[in-house]
Amino acid sequence: MRTSLQFALALAWLASGFHTFAASLPDTGDLHQHPAWLTLVHYQPDRFGDGYTGQADDKEFFLSEKGKTSPQAELEATLAAITRPGSGDDHARCRFPARDRWLRQQLDLPQQPAACPAFENWATELNTETVTLVFAASYLNSPSSMFGHTFLRLDPPREDEETNLILASTISYAADAAAHESEILFAYKGIFGGYPGITSIQPYYEKIRLYSDIEHRDLWEYQLNLNQAEVDMLLAHTWEIRDRNFDYYFFDENCAYRLLALIDVARPGTNLLAEVSTHAIPSDTVRWVVDRDLVNTVNYRPSAATRVSHAIEALPDDHQTLAAAIANGYVDADAPEVKALNDEERARVLDTTYDYVRYQSEAEGWPREYAAPLSHDLLRERSQIRGVEALKGPQQPAIRDDQGHDTFRTSLSGGRIGERNFTELTLRPAYHNVLDPPAGYRGGAQLEFLRLDARLYTDNKELQVEQLTGVEIRSLSPRNQFFSPLSWQVGFGGRRTDTETRRVFTPYLEGGAGGSWSLASGTQAFALATADLEIDDDLRRGYDAAPGADLGLLHQNNQFSVLAGIKTRAWIVSSQHRQDQAYLESNWHFGRSFGLFGKFSREYHYDRYRSTWQLGLHAYF
Amino acid sequence: MKKLIAGALLMGASTLAFAQPGCGVGAMIWKGQSGIAPHVLAATTNGIAGNQTFGMTTGTLGCQTNESVQSMAMYMDSNIDKVARDMSRGNGENLDTLAVLLGVDEADRDSFRKILQDNFATIFPSSETTSGEAVDAIVALLESDQTLSKYVAA
Repeated sequence: MRTSLQFALALAWLASGFHTFAASLPDTGDLHQHPAWLTLVHYQPDRFGDGYTGQADDKEFFLSEKGKTSPQAELEATLAAITRPGSGDDHARCRFPARDRWLRQQLDLPQQPAACPAFENWATELNTETVTLVFAASYLNSPSSMFGHTFLRLDPPREDEETNLILASTISYAADAAAHESEILFAYKGIFGGYPGITSIQPYYEKIRLYSDIEHRDLWEYQLNLNQAEVDMLLAHTWEIRDRNFDYYFFDENCAYRLLALIDVARPGTNLLAEVSTHAIPSDTVRWVVDRDLVNTVNYRPSAATRVSHAIEALPDDHQTLAAAIANGYVDADAPEVKALNDEERARVLDTTYDYVRYQSEAEGWPREYAAPLSHDLLRERSQIRGVEALKGPQQPAIRDDQGHDTFRTSLSGGRIGERNFTELTLRPAYHNVLDPPAGYRGGAQLEFLRLDARLYTDNKELQVEQLTGVEIRSLSPRNQFFSPLSWQVGFGGRRTDTETRRVFTPYLEGGAGGSWSLASGTQAFALATADLEIDDDLRRGYDAAPGADLGLLHQNNQFSVLAGIKTRAWIVSSQHRQDQAYLESNWHFGRSFGLFGKFSREYHYDRYRSTWQLGLHAYF
Repeated sequence: MKKLIAGALLMGASTLAFAQPGCGVGAMIWKGQSGIAPHVLAATTNGIAGNQTFGMTTGTLGCQTNESVQSMAMYMDSNIDKVARDMSRGNGENLDTLAVLLGVDEADRDSFRKILQDNFATIFPSSETTSGEAVDAIVALLESDQTLSKYVAA
């Protein structure tokens, strides 16, 4: 009897306990509107209406059925789940350690830690003290990497020297595209959606191999000043989104975007995502991170290609010739003329030749049967030379990629075409023109997106779209005895074209390929064979095509840039006229925010000459 | 610390099946390029998850039970050409990374670098050497050295 009474009492106590427990779920008030909560669940305000939608495209990421569209339901479901008794890897506290931590702080819930073996092992193995944002510089020869790429590196405590860092882990967010898909399909799905985006963890040396050795992209390492609690929060949130799908979009919800979200979670109030409007260019996202004082130190890691060029330039001319001769198999690695050099000179020649042969094998696909025995000979000879350190890598460029000009450009100018005067307004959302300030960008590289040139003719107040550029890419890279890159250009959009009687707006497609040669530092001469296609019913046969040539000179420096040349096109379908043009364009840079530009061209077309000139101001922001 | 680094390394390759550490297999040094694959890869990697990372060929590495040696073997498999380069020069970050993975003390680093440079031709007898063979040769060399043998003890 006594026992049963005790039992009943205990039951009653338990029941009341449960009752108080259930009732003690604190009132969450407006907490679901808290920016930190919206960031944690990746909510974005709806474009129409005042609701929110979570960006995760994965049911597993939400605890409430309505979680995708209701921050409040998701918060209540999360609170209920994390206060439920129990533990283990499947418990909500272990699946969502960052939400758990944040909610407990906000609501003054008991802070006793949960036992989550899987998460704890993972975090222990990552052993992270500081976080570094790594930026892989732009790489023009591939549309998907033209804007650069970013990822996070998780740095362990540094007990000895820096070498540990190449063993550190990295976090990246990337589209999980099938390997065999074509570039065009990649671009299409990247823009319009269609790829799942996955957060993955890889050792840094794999990234170095990929970006430095295979893609020839310099890496910039921005060590963030997150403290240990912030780092822990970042890791906890990485655990939450790990293996969760967030659809990948090339322009906005891209590699850089998801990393910004991680930093926002780590340091509430940072609000980096607020900067993203239509697109998140990785170099811009680095700027935002720098502007918010999140960066401690910056380190530069030149790519294999940058190192090779640097090593070649450091060799005297006759040693350059010797290195080229060894690399091409005319001279053996142990030939008398190599042995005749002193130890240091010989080491430099052998090191440079080896790095060059490796570069050519990666970049130009030199066959293994040739490159491998030669590489082995070079290293065997090199191992005989003691006490000569390898040449130091190139210095960090004075201006980092994130310190280059801003990518949105607006220009206002006045000009005259033939006998008509006009005012022109140009908007260019992204990214860089060869005439823009070159610091922080690759020399001879140009990439413009969605540029609009609108003209107001002063005589009859007529407003005309002069050109709407969809994409324009130009890659001019000089050839020499070591490197022989192709220079090329491609573009499409709509532009005014002369039909003899009037200038009509016509869609166009243009391309070109050829070579470029360096004349002096910052100066190159190029020769391209070009092809143009215009399609419009104002053209006699509905379209016109022109083979042609473009010969020019480009000079770029931090004060001014000049592009001059002659262009000729032979329209062969509709008009059957030659169009010859001499052009001179220049931009004087005032710092990195403004530029004064001038353009002049003289054209011979339909048996008459016509000059166009233009003078105006660029502003970058 | 050493354990943690090894842990991070192994985790990075967690998708690999780890066979019983076996003998002398692994990536051949200076493996060739296969057709246009590198260009296509280079073209798309910005957005591609790590399901096609280079190196880390599946296979068995280093006849060893020593965890540090296994980590070294994995690193070598991915970076054998750069390790060979640094070894021939007697210095460089890849050589230092091997030292870190093996837990070689600062005081022994110079002799570690020297023995590897001096014996370059033994470690890499030909251009067909694989990372597994190079690991075996390094272990044998270090074992025969009085001060360095402790770093590769099974």
